[in-house]
Amino acid sequence: MNRQSCIAMMVAAGFVFGGGPNTARAAEGAEALVSSANESIAAASVAMDEARAAIENGKQLVAQIPADSAQLGEVKSMLLAASDNWNLSVAALKGAKESAAKITSASSTAIAKDYALLAKVNAGLALSGAKVVQTGLLFVDAVSNNKTEALDIIRMAMQDSLAAASQVQFNYERVKTLIAEKYSK
Amino acid sequence: MKKNQFNITILSVVAVVLMASVPVRADLATASGTLAEVATLTVQAKANLASAANSGDVNAIADAAKRADAVDAAMAEAQDAFSALERAVAGNDQDAAAAASDDLDAARQKAFDALFGAVPEASPQSEHAKWVEGQKNTGGGPGRAYDPPNIYDRPWDTQGLRSFYQGLFGTIWESQGNRGGFNDRDATPE
Repeated sequence: MNRQSCIAMMVAAGFVFGGGPNTARAAEGAEALVSSANESIAAASVAMDEARAAIENGKQLVAQIPADSAQLGEVKSMLLAASDNWNLSVAALKGAKESAAKITSASSTAIAKDYALLAKVNAGLALSGAKVVQTGLLFVDAVSNNKTEALDIIRMAMQDSLAAASQVQFNYERVKTLIAEKYSK
Repeated sequence: MKKNQFNITILSVVAVVLMASVPVRADLATASGTLAEVATLTVQAKANLASAANSGDVNAIADAAKRADAVDAAMAEAQDAFSALERAVAGNDQDAAAAASDDLDAARQKAFDALFGAVPEASPQSEHAKWVEGQKNTGGGPGRAYDPPNIYDRPWDTQGLRSFYQGLFGTIWESQGNRGGFNDRDATPE
């Protein structure tokens, strides 16, 4: 193997593993990343608008629940969980928008991909939080309208939702840590 | 000259190996993002189930439950695939990492199809199938321990128990010195 063939092999390897410079392809890739991130953010925004409407509706529903209702304690827990998840969603959506805005100005394709990933996972966190809020307020709706047969299913769905939402949060933290580790080396 | 060529070859191989190791590390972050995506689909499926329950539509509840079960199953597959990917990355096994990444993508697609595609069939192990079975509670069935009793079930009405109690009464009747079986006497003595 002569020197030229070795260099050719390294250049080929660089292209195969994504290290080769290709400005046009990089620009197209960045556009696709921005589009994908914006799609996730739009889905999260819709879910948050629905959750906001559910919260407005819930304020009136809570007033209809009698003070001696057996489910009042549970309603309080649901509202606390919904409140926590709402705050999380608001922060996550803001983070998603910030990350998406940095994709086009990233200095390399790899960094742009990482910003896109952060935007997507943040949007997922906002979406899951908004869905948890909606589920919690469905419980309030069922209690205030005396739909006792629905309570069991909604209660179970809320428990599962909280567990899955914590999975989303855990994975978001892991993505952040892995990306930070990559650039701290 | 030959020694130089050998050194260059070694350096090239090392460079290729180093470049090949980079995507494995990057895949773990992407895979975490995929796992988060599947968990988000799980939350959506549960929210849909709660919404169906609140509507009171039995068919909608059954469909939403089947979807939620299928998404749960896909989530379990995604977690297994992620664990396999972690092991592959730790062992720097490219092939295993690629296979685990494919499995993870397949699980994500399965969860997506379960939530937004056609309503999946309930498998015998699914939560919904267990719930349907639990509702039967016909006595001797696999009902849950905390199921309410079946108020329409009257075990004392079974033919076997009737024969047993009649036979028992007949034995007592005869032991009192009575002739013939209790059921043999005339309904109207006159």
